[in-house]
Amino acid sequence: MPRKLEDVLDYFLPGAGVPASAARANAYPGEDAQPTHPAHSDWSPDANPRTRTDRPAALPIIALPIGDRDVVHAAFAWNLAVEFARFGANATLLAPADPAAASLWPPSGRGPIGAELELVHATNLRELHRAALDLAVSRAADAKNGGVILTRVPPAWLNGMSDGRALLRWVLLFAATESKDLRETYGLAKRVLQAGPTPRLGITIHGARRIEEAERAFSRLADTTQRHLGHAVVSYGLLMDDLHIYRAIVAHRPIGLEHPQSRAARALRDVARLLLEDAQDHALG
Amino acid sequence: MSRGYYSRMRRTTRLADLALAQPPRRSQLTEGLRARLGEVVPSLHLIAEGVLGADSSIDFVGVEPTGRVVLIFIGEDGDDLELIGRAVAQRAWVEPRIRDWIQLAPNLGVRPGAGARAVLLCPSFCYETEAAAAALGSEAVSLVRYHYLQNRGDLEILIEPITRAASNESTPRRPKNSDTPPFRTGLSHEDLGLTAEEYVEFE
Repeated sequence: MPRKLEDVLDYFLPGAGVPASAARANAYPGEDAQPTHPAHSDWSPDANPRTRTDRPAALPIIALPIGDRDVVHAAFAWNLAVEFARFGANATLLAPADPAAASLWPPSGRGPIGAELELVHATNLRELHRAALDLAVSRAADAKNGGVILTRVPPAWLNGMSDGRALLRWVLLFAATESKDLRETYGLAKRVLQAGPTPRLGITIHGARRIEEAERAFSRLADTTQRHLGHAVVSYGLLMDDLHIYRAIVAHRPIGLEHPQSRAARALRDVARLLLEDAQDHALG
Repeated sequence: MSRGYYSRMRRTTRLADLALAQPPRRSQLTEGLRARLGEVVPSLHLIAEGVLGADSSIDFVGVEPTGRVVLIFIGEDGDDLELIGRAVAQRAWVEPRIRDWIQLAPNLGVRPGAGARAVLLCPSFCYETEAAAAALGSEAVSLVRYHYLQNRGDLEILIEPITRAASNESTPRRPKNSDTPPFRTGLSHEDLGLTAEEYVEFE
């Protein structure tokens, strides 16, 4: 189902849509105020996905196409994993162990508050998909509070139909608001859709100075993707760029731990929450 | 050809009564020289201090108006030969990271392809250091002497570039293709495969 940025803005702008205090209910550990949005208007503690569903056979996998030197988007991915962990969910980030992309990541293994970075030997989409699937199954057994396997996909591997195309069933793209960045994100979306069926293609906008700028950027991407590729994209909100995010990247410290009250950290948390909510519907098995 | 600059003097009509003085402790030395860096590199925009680079720290990192990164190292008497080695190593460490810095902070004014140069500030430089700097070229390393002077009870700093003045060195390198950031994804226009109709959607 298409979802526009406006549909989820109440996450990012309390008071712009549903009153935050009324609409947000505790859903995850450590949360004193949780948002909801129109698509989840029946959200309540009783409807907590941790208790309302059985444990899935495998965690959902979100593919993140990120370039070998794209430190900003890699930092978003790692920080999202840490936010999942802060929600009490299983948080694993999987990436190919590629020396050319070594600068993207902190040391592999279990990191802050249980977020985990797994580097695997994979040289193509098929091998990466196999590794992601193995991880999704093994982590599901311990994921009492659900979780997600974030998987970094080198964009160069999206080069036509592949045996590993099932990895692309749920793809999240980060898009900055400049024309050049939007064009690149659209081109990436095109490659993703050409590589395989992608039921869910999500966009998280970043780098916007104003909300209207983010909305405009998302609309351009969504409209163009619909018109030329016949595919609806869904919004996974926006990440507010401020100095904290850069400082946290440079300091190799997750922003949610380094500056938890910053605007950037709160926005990141809201993106993580949106993804976790949708993950309830995308658990495998 | 050397050219010295005295720090701005207090308003006084008395003649200067200068005598060489011992530099202050490291922290004061750094603080004192920091205020004078604009004379070493005109219109320098300082962006970081005490940056941990390749196994040691860079005293100051700045950006010239041309977008070139400037690494500034401060040494004490006798440090110069070691310092030029560190400067070369740190410059080699920084250059491949400039693209990442631009991504992290696009508003700093750092320009892809403009490269990086090092500026060394020491009380004196031995012949070997000067020869090494000359071999490397002023696009890579510049040497600047500093002296602390006692002037009727006040400490003054004399700044003395001993290579060509930094202000004449600001012509940027021609951008190299390898420095120019491609798309974040690392893909080319051809890889993205946008049609003309798709391309104009984002004009």
